[in-house]
Amino acid sequence: MTLTDDELVAKSVGGDAESFNQLILRWERPIYALAYRVIGREEDARDVCQETFLRAFRALPGFKGQAKFSSWLYRIALNLCRDWIRRQRRAPVMQMPEGVDPGELAAERGPVESIEELVSRRELSAVVEEAMALLPEEQRTAIILKEYHGMTFQEIADMQGCPLSTVKTRLYQGLTVLRRHLEKNGQMTPQLVKRK
Amino acid sequence: MTQTFTCGDHGALVSYLYDECDPNERRAISAHVAVCGGCAEEIASLGATRELLGTWSPPDAQLGFRVVSDTPRSVSDTPRSVSNVLRPSRWWQRPMPAWAQAAAAAAIFATGVTLGALRGATATAGAPASNAQGSNVTLSAMPTAAVTPGDLSALEQRLRTELSQMRNTNGPATASAGDAQIFERVRTMIQDSEQRQQRELALRTAEIVRDFDAQRQGDLTRIERAMGQMDGTTGVEVAQQRQMLNYLMRVSQRGQ
Repeated sequence: MTLTDDELVAKSVGGDAESFNQLILRWERPIYALAYRVIGREEDARDVCQETFLRAFRALPGFKGQAKFSSWLYRIALNLCRDWIRRQRRAPVMQMPEGVDPGELAAERGPVESIEELVSRRELSAVVEEAMALLPEEQRTAIILKEYHGMTFQEIADMQGCPLSTVKTRLYQGLTVLRRHLEKNGQMTPQLVKRK
Repeated sequence: MTQTFTCGDHGALVSYLYDECDPNERRAISAHVAVCGGCAEEIASLGATRELLGTWSPPDAQLGFRVVSDTPRSVSDTPRSVSNVLRPSRWWQRPMPAWAQAAAAAAIFATGVTLGALRGATATAGAPASNAQGSNVTLSAMPTAAVTPGDLSALEQRLRTELSQMRNTNGPATASAGDAQIFERVRTMIQDSEQRQQRELALRTAEIVRDFDAQRQGDLTRIERAMGQMDGTTGVEVAQQRQMLNYLMRVSQRGQ
């Protein structure tokens, strides 16, 4: 029998670590995905994910079920992502090692075909990722919560601490910027638009 | 109640796009979109954008965090040390590497040798005492476990012989007092011996437990350190691969 989040939380508060491990198993992928999409770095997203569950475990006695457990987890993760972004503003996000020519490096990595395969497989995803990185943090987070985590406008508003109308505006503006970027990169084909 | 839609109401368009509006609002927007080319195009292109967003998936990551707790404790206990450390899941269920198997075998062997040495020490510590001090003090010097029923019978026999000799010498009145004294002495000696034995047993048990625990802690530390090194190595490799991927993608994009 599958226990609900609330039941697992109650058992965890009672000292059953295995129940909390089941909650981790259930939610670590969504939390990791959220962290990765917000901050864009795999290792850091993993750290955020781990820290989210650590904080949740420590704060579990104070969790009174006023919100869904998942919403509570998302909120912790988003706060950690915000902290991370704040820290990163003081340091460059991507650093190119000095004295290394990417072309030479690519040539050393094997035949051209495999590189093309690799790039074509990831191209679309990379363009979307690149476009998302252009958005301000609030718009990006709103779109991520809506598109990839299926939250309602109201849940996003609660999560972001803003009015519901602001969430809609963020979504609209964010989608508009994304559309322009994708059009510029040739990803928005007329067929794709007509299908809608 | 009928609802109207104002052309250019982006909030309403977003509600319509995500299907999060009430039926009346939806009807009103649908009616408007059917006749307004601008809004219809807006909805279509935003929908297409959403479709492309669906292609973005995060890379696979090694997760499997777990709360590791060696003793069952309440979550409300504070402060926590290692019990709330999240670690990659079920690492202890994975096939054990050769070095870990060797370490475990060495730990078991060392424990066995330690126990054997302790037992040997016990035997050799008892034997010389009895040999060196002669038959009169054997009972007090040796642990109770070394006293056999035969020894006790011999002692009793000797005591009876001595008592009968004393009776013959001193008469019945003094013999009765002497019996009581001797029995009292024997009882005291046996009690002392038992107490010593219990103390010794407790001491040795504590030593064994301490040795075993120290060995276990040492093994765990070595295993943790080795796993940490492996994690570090893997992390560096992943970072290098990711960096390489970034280079390749940049190069590819330049070519386009």
